[in-house]
Amino acid sequence: MISHRDRNAQRIAALDERAEALRLKPGMGIADARAMHPAIDVVEADPQADLRLLESLADWCDRYTPLVALDGADGLFLDITGCTHLFGGEHAMLDEILARFFHQGFDVRAGIASTAGAAWAAARFRGRCIIAIGQEEALLVPLPLAALRLEPAIRGSLESVGLRTVGAVLAAPRAPLARRFGIALLLRIDQALGRQDEAVSPRLPIAPLSVERHLAEPVTLIDDIERLVLLLATALKTDLERRGEGARAVALLLFRVDGVVTRLVVGTSRSMREPRLILKLFQEKLTAITEDFDAGYGFDLVRLAILATAPFDMHQADLADAAEDSEEDLALFADRIRARLGEGAILKPVAVESHLPERAVAVIPYWQDAPRRISPPKKPAGPRELPSAVPYQPERPIRLFQAPEPVEVPASEIPDGPPRQFRWRRALYRVAKVEGPERLAAEWWRKEEPTRDYFRIEDTEGRRYWLYRQGFFDASKPPPRWFMHGVFA
Amino acid sequence: MNMIVRHTPAYAEFGVQSNFSFLRGASRPEELVVTAKLYGFSAIGLADRNTVAGVVRAWQQSKVEGIAYHPGCRLVFGDGTPDILAYPRDREGWGHLCRMLTQANLRPETEKGATLLERGDLLEWGDRLSLAVLPDLLGDGETQLALLRQLKDRFDGSLWLAAAPDYQGNDRFRLEQAAALAAAAGLPLMATNDVLYHTPARRPLQDVVTAIRLNVPVAEAGFELAANAERHMKTAIEMARLFRSYPDVLEQTRRFSETLRFSLSELEYNYPDEPTQSGLGPQEELARLAWEGAAGRYPAGVPTSVRKRILEELALIERLNYARYFLTVHDIMRFAREKGILCQGRGSAANSIVCFCVGITEVGPERIDTLFERFISEERNEPPDIDVDFEHEKRDEVIAYIYDKYKEKHTALAAAVTSYRGRSALREVAKAMGLSEDVRSALSSSIWGWYSSELGERETQAGGLDQSDPLTRHVLDLANEIMGFPRHLTQHVGGFVITKDRLDEIVPIVKTAMDKRKMVEWDKDDLDAVKILKVDVLALGMLSCLKRAFTLLEDHYPARDEFGRPFSLATLPESDQRVYDMICRADTLGVFQIESRAQMSMLPRLRPRTFYDLVIEVAIVRPGPIQGNMVHPYLRRRQGKEAAEYPKPELKDILGKTMGVPLFQEQAMKIAIVAGGFKPGEADQLRRAMATFKRTGTIGNYRDRMINGMVERGYPREFAERCFKQIEGFGEYGFPESHAASFALLVYASCWFKTFYPDVFCAAILNSQPMGFYQPAQLVRDARDHGVEVRDADINASVWDCKLEKAFFDPERIVNRHASMKGVILTDHAVRLGFRQIKGLPEERMTTFIARRGDGYESVRDVWLRSGLDTNEIEKLAEADAFRSLGISRRDALWAVRALDGRKAAERLPLFDQPDIRLPDLEPATKLPMMQSGEHVIHDYRSLGLSLKAHPVSFLRDRLSRSGVTPNAQLSSVPNGRRVTVAGLVLVRQRPGNGNAIFLTLEDEKTVANVIFWKSTFARFRPIIMGARLVRVTGKLQCESDVIHIVADRIEDLTPWLSTLLEDTHPDLAKSVDGRKLLTGSTSRSHGNMPDLQRKPSEQDFRTLADETQSVMPKGRNFH
Repeated sequence: MISHRDRNAQRIAALDERAEALRLKPGMGIADARAMHPAIDVVEADPQADLRLLESLADWCDRYTPLVALDGADGLFLDITGCTHLFGGEHAMLDEILARFFHQGFDVRAGIASTAGAAWAAARFRGRCIIAIGQEEALLVPLPLAALRLEPAIRGSLESVGLRTVGAVLAAPRAPLARRFGIALLLRIDQALGRQDEAVSPRLPIAPLSVERHLAEPVTLIDDIERLVLLLATALKTDLERRGEGARAVALLLFRVDGVVTRLVVGTSRSMREPRLILKLFQEKLTAITEDFDAGYGFDLVRLAILATAPFDMHQADLADAAEDSEEDLALFADRIRARLGEGAILKPVAVESHLPERAVAVIPYWQDAPRRISPPKKPAGPRELPSAVPYQPERPIRLFQAPEPVEVPASEIPDGPPRQFRWRRALYRVAKVEGPERLAAEWWRKEEPTRDYFRIEDTEGRRYWLYRQGFFDASKPPPRWFMHGVFA
Repeated sequence: MNMIVRHTPAYAEFGVQSNFSFLRGASRPEELVVTAKLYGFSAIGLADRNTVAGVVRAWQQSKVEGIAYHPGCRLVFGDGTPDILAYPRDREGWGHLCRMLTQANLRPETEKGATLLERGDLLEWGDRLSLAVLPDLLGDGETQLALLRQLKDRFDGSLWLAAAPDYQGNDRFRLEQAAALAAAAGLPLMATNDVLYHTPARRPLQDVVTAIRLNVPVAEAGFELAANAERHMKTAIEMARLFRSYPDVLEQTRRFSETLRFSLSELEYNYPDEPTQSGLGPQEELARLAWEGAAGRYPAGVPTSVRKRILEELALIERLNYARYFLTVHDIMRFAREKGILCQGRGSAANSIVCFCVGITEVGPERIDTLFERFISEERNEPPDIDVDFEHEKRDEVIAYIYDKYKEKHTALAAAVTSYRGRSALREVAKAMGLSEDVRSALSSSIWGWYSSELGERETQAGGLDQSDPLTRHVLDLANEIMGFPRHLTQHVGGFVITKDRLDEIVPIVKTAMDKRKMVEWDKDDLDAVKILKVDVLALGMLSCLKRAFTLLEDHYPARDEFGRPFSLATLPESDQRVYDMICRADTLGVFQIESRAQMSMLPRLRPRTFYDLVIEVAIVRPGPIQGNMVHPYLRRRQGKEAAEYPKPELKDILGKTMGVPLFQEQAMKIAIVAGGFKPGEADQLRRAMATFKRTGTIGNYRDRMINGMVERGYPREFAERCFKQIEGFGEYGFPESHAASFALLVYASCWFKTFYPDVFCAAILNSQPMGFYQPAQLVRDARDHGVEVRDADINASVWDCKLEKAFFDPERIVNRHASMKGVILTDHAVRLGFRQIKGLPEERMTTFIARRGDGYESVRDVWLRSGLDTNEIEKLAEADAFRSLGISRRDALWAVRALDGRKAAERLPLFDQPDIRLPDLEPATKLPMMQSGEHVIHDYRSLGLSLKAHPVSFLRDRLSRSGVTPNAQLSSVPNGRRVTVAGLVLVRQRPGNGNAIFLTLEDEKTVANVIFWKSTFARFRPIIMGARLVRVTGKLQCESDVIHIVADRIEDLTPWLSTLLEDTHPDLAKSVDGRKLLTGSTSRSHGNMPDLQRKPSEQDFRTLADETQSVMPKGRNFH
């Protein structure tokens, strides 16, 4: 189940069939839904992701027509005027679209009509149908007002006076309708019935030139793709020459069998039309994305489109240098190393806010950000409240031992004093000066451990050590153990 | 012989922060005091961050523990000055401290809860305080020294330097530094441990509150957390060891405490002086008012017994010096009465005949036979408690009067401490422990209601957590630990503190969320403890309703009391048996208190016949008696099924009038005294301990003491345990007899109206909405069931409020269930619904509308031209079908409204503003579909929340009958134990007390049915029970003393049936509801599917419409 925030309340935005079967409905408050079913699984809506998905579907539909427009959050308009013959007519095309979406796992409804409005209504209220010219009215009459793509407010007012179907509205005289419900209503009616033109605004500019190749056998290898690019570029060259232009921006569209569309765009600093140069640009691009390049079951449609053109300068020189040989920056270098040698190839140490010395530093991959510091408190501190001072940082050895080494302490001050002497790695050291204890308790939320008392110790020869006692003295238990955690330089 | 004497050094701890240093301290004030005593401190102070909100609680505990205690404050500055512990030396010093904090609290830049204190405040108000500076011992010595010298110049002799160990490895240096600074500045150095909690075991909780404060998970709070658990209280010996190099520093804590002579007890009884007209002293003035009032109360002459009691009470009041308190309350109520605001006092004062005479209460002591000694106990010597209820809409006038009279310097609101309860504790702790948002909401939604005694398995299951996981254990343990901790202070709903001296010298004043209102830092228990006058000025919806009822009665009916005066609360005819007849039938929908399901089912069993029965009825359906398992024994005895018995004769005096069952708070207290061996003062401590036992953990002692005491005196252990349990319940939901009595009077009054004048009652209660359990739809239905005619809201007949219109009353309209009311009901008016019933109409616009109505509006257009309403508002009127009297139907009216020009009046041509110039309407006629009755009902519900035309279920009756549903009205003729099926709209869901049963009230076109789900059935059908609006329930019928319940074993959601109310306009819709879905996103590959354009629209097509139909029906209200 998907939730979204609507005026301070979490509401259901969308739900699957199982949730529907539980009598949950879109628009219901999450709190109410939870009161009914405490166990429901709620996911926060991500409209951005939804939009990205819809856009990728739109990309895929590019294979049918370059005129694809988004419709709201869940629909697509395809202007298929003049394209149907490529797919064997309207019926065959509709069947193919539906079948292909079905195999990609989408539950899609589609309708074909001669007006955008009628097609919209057919898709949403009929599903899988083709409305012949002149049949729009017959289609719309029994449908509810929603079929007219009306604002909810207008719809509500029409319904409140008993006009619930498109037929009822069509039967009413136009002037009173216009007076009460505004011109938008009549516009929608006229658009649906074809009395008024409606422009579908495609989401991508239509390329002035494009060529494509449908493949009976999908290709998967980069080499094959490059060969196809060269082929298509050659075909384009003729068109460019005829227009006396060269390309300034070229897009390569790879339609994968399962619906994913890869779109690569290259720009040129000077207009060009030479197929080999175009190929060279795409080779760079294709190499750069090799990592993420996933041919899956292969591409069955490859299209090369020229997005922008400019007059072709016949006298240019040094075409080869016009290629994109932009300098690689450090990050790219790191990326390459990473790609070759794995995630852990380049590391960096960062400070971590922890009182425990062994946790106070962490090593992370070079490209990651250091762990987040404390986010600002709920309410900003009072305007003149001073920021809390930098906490006192006790002195630490520069390097800690990998694991603290046990130390023998024959005698120490009770209860929390330093040792008088200690034996470490078989040698005995006499304590001359001492500072401490610094008391560090375990991070209880991670692990229960005895509290440690750290001492900075200088022996009789001036060497300095960092020792700690683990735990406190307790008459009923064996005396606490001592450890060496590091030495000072 | 060698003898080692272990001498415990004298030590007093002053650096103490409790959990009133919000989200910093991790122990309750009480816990700190208990520990201080345990460790043998010579004294303890409490110094929370810029607040004294916790000092009274600690003080109370210190009296129990018997340890010297000093209230103080830790001054935390916004300008870089180090923290300073400030303790008042005397009353004057306390005043200074309060003034200082008030000044900082009210500073414009101070945000609520973030006091902005400056050094200047201290320099201004620091006299008569003993101060201990906690300098930054690692900072620049010169700066610190300069500051210390500056303070010393100003406060020499009362300034200390305090130092605490902090275990960062450099304590020796820090203490050396402290000693050096002290020596350089010439100040004494004293030890402290800068305590944040009483035991090291609280470190995790302290980390959690830090994380909550910073709004990050504990694991990310980093250096903001303490490195160790050393900020706990330490014994004097340990402190001496820590400061062993500085022998004098412990001794200095004693010196510091010797300078402190202030006790909170010095604030007691700071009652305001009431100026008296006569110039008499307060006691004489009160006596005068009492005798004057008595004459009014007893027009036939004051009976001797009353005279005697007045004399006794006045003598007691004089001995305790309480007269000023009574005068203050009396004056507030006098003001309200002058303004015609209905009010009534309650609280323990209701027992007092003086209160009755001066008009503070309306229940004469002769109606409830209790003694004034309970009201004021000389021994307990605590202030009387009087709460005053006012009409809820008029309370602000009273509040304004109080501010005006006592001025801001002497009055402010009491605080209310918002504490962590089950839900908030779990939610915040889970967040601090880093659980994800959805686990958190699953966890907290598992708690029904706000109260939960102990969190455990149930919650973790709901959150899908593993009990054995350490993280889960942490979350539960810490949530249980933080429960009851204060979160912040908010204003009390109506508790006014009034003092004679400047209030800001008694307690610091802070801002509230409301700009004008200020509040003190203490809550009502604290104020009680320091004996400061507090009057609860509360709002009560039923008083507004009764006020309206009295006014309507006076305006429309000749009914008057025996002296020819209009009726008032005190003069309604007492004990009219016809009123009790109605109550016994549980015909109490809408009346005060006894309208809930639980109360209604009790009525036919209790069969109240006298006023005192009502008092019991009000008190018995409460958590206290229910928890103490007192209800059923009382019922059995009342019904004569068992004899009232008294474990010992001494209890007969206490429990005689409640048949041997303790029902009231004072009875439980008296049992503790008489049977448990408590002293009266102790018994009251016991009750208070109950309310606060979470804070101290000392309840166990009381429990053993009381139960053992009772067993020793020969009481059965089981009886003793029940009594104790009940006191436990009272602690949270105290309900003394006098409260019950004042409420019972309102019960009787509302029932009186409902019995004789259901029209008056209906109009009054509709005009007082929202209040009570029931929606206007049920209130109107109930009135109509009693034969009252209810008329539609109409543009030419209605006013803002519902009003009465002369009408013929036909007793035959009374439905059978209420047939016994024939001949009782005196109604001869109909209720005209007011514009207030129509959703979305603003009152002041409608007032103009009514003022401009003249002889009536003639058309929709006329309304638009003359009324001043905009088209939106006229549309609302049309949607409410309010144009009927013009012969315009809802739909036609809407059509006409839509045609109105949306422009402002100023843009109109003057020509059209002449309503009598009729322009021919050239518009072609539009034939709109007729609106069918089912649809009308739906629109009525949407616009008015009720329909006078028909009940939604009536349209479904045929279908329901076919499916074997018994109409609710026929349930009374179904034999007990038979399985039945009923259906109706869900009105109320109630899950009382322990949650073993869920009550559902279902409404069909005739009446309601009551359904019970046991816990297991509820779990199975939870989605339907909680979500459906129309249901069908099957179960076994249970009938006990005329109370019919259906114990359900099955429930079905019929909500989609409601969509068929639109059936007439869409006949196909109805059929397809059960039919197959036509649109399922067909993906089959079959060919040749040319669309069938003749296909009928499916249910899916109209889904939104159907949904809307369902959603205008009441959602059902949930009560706990």
